Amino acid sequence: MYFLLFYQPPRTCEDYWSEWKHCKGIRNLFHNYYTYGEAPSCEQWKIDYGNCRKWEKSKSPDAKESLCKSERVRILEKQKYDPVWQLRKSPPRDWYLPLGQDKPK
Amino acid sequence: PASSWEEERRGPVAEGEDFGYRLFPERRSEAKPQRSFLFTSLFTFNHKCQVMLKIALETSRHRGGRPDPVASAGTVHKDRHFACEDCDGCVSGGFDAATSQIVLCQNNIHQQSHMNRVVTHELIHAFDHCRAHVDWFSNVKHLACSEIRAANLSGDCSLINEMTRFKFGLKQHHQTCVRDRAIRSILAVRKVSKETAEKAVDGVFDSCFNDHEPFGRVPHSKSDAKYAYRNFQNRDRYYANL
Repeated sequence: MYFLLFYQPPRTCEDYWSEWKHCKGIRNLFHNYYTYGEAPSCEQWKIDYGNCRKWEKSKSPDAKESLCKSERVRILEKQKYDPVWQLRKSPPRDWYLPLGQDKPK
Repeated sequence: PASSWEEERRGPVAEGEDFGYRLFPERRSEAKPQRSFLFTSLFTFNHKCQVMLKIALETSRHRGGRPDPVASAGTVHKDRHFACEDCDGCVSGGFDAATSQIVLCQNNIHQQSHMNRVVTHELIHAFDHCRAHVDWFSNVKHLACSEIRAANLSGDCSLINEMTRFKFGLKQHHQTCVRDRAIRSILAVRKVSKETAEKAVDGVFDSCFNDHEPFGRVPHSKSDAKYAYRNFQNRDRYYANL
């Protein structure tokens, strides 16, 4: 119960609303067609907005679960393909070194 | 991690390979001329380049545009990580992994919008260099991946830019442009055949075209960039509440 009281949606409800409006707009329709050859699907943003408001009003666990699930699906979509390279834990050692210290001849 | 440039060059290297450094003559220490301030002011575009670079970086900071989330992967310092130099040919800029510097071609960049695009493009390479073990010099697939991402995310392939190159297309044309520009970029800096470059790009295209870090989306417009930046600022809350 303590955790539920201090939970907040991953984005503010205004963010979900503005993402939905942005997605539906004619500019995004054009950009999506130019990039992917099809119209974007924006319905999920609207559903997420509804769940966000529902959580704000009534702290509904179903709304929270749907919202979290939707965001996790968005993240999984991005991880669909195997990465080409191995990620680092920190920038390369020589990123911050002053010029000339390790410069090749 | 390799401690010198020579050690980083693993794998077979083509004869006569110069990794594109011929395009950036000022990068070779024996070729760097000692020029007076007067010469630099009167006969090069160095000052103009510095001013446009400053504007590009500051504009993005205020509007939360493309460069800022990129810069956070490893802090980018204007004086350390950027250099305005004269370059050969038509090249606009490059990322020198050996010195961790973005090179801007002061003799080929004359408009602010072009500067903004080149800075973004090269910052994508710098971002990849900071966040991953990228083998720039002997793995063509790594180079291909970064070139795909840079062409995809910098605005290089916007409809308007393509039309100014007399390349007309609409449905999914963005992908055609990204593929072509990535291949051209590889051929400009590596002594590989067109087939090798095409094979490398096609082999990694799906993975790299869909890697939109750090933006989370392809930033086609200022509002795309604004939302991407908003997500970046909000990232702690986002991941804490999944």
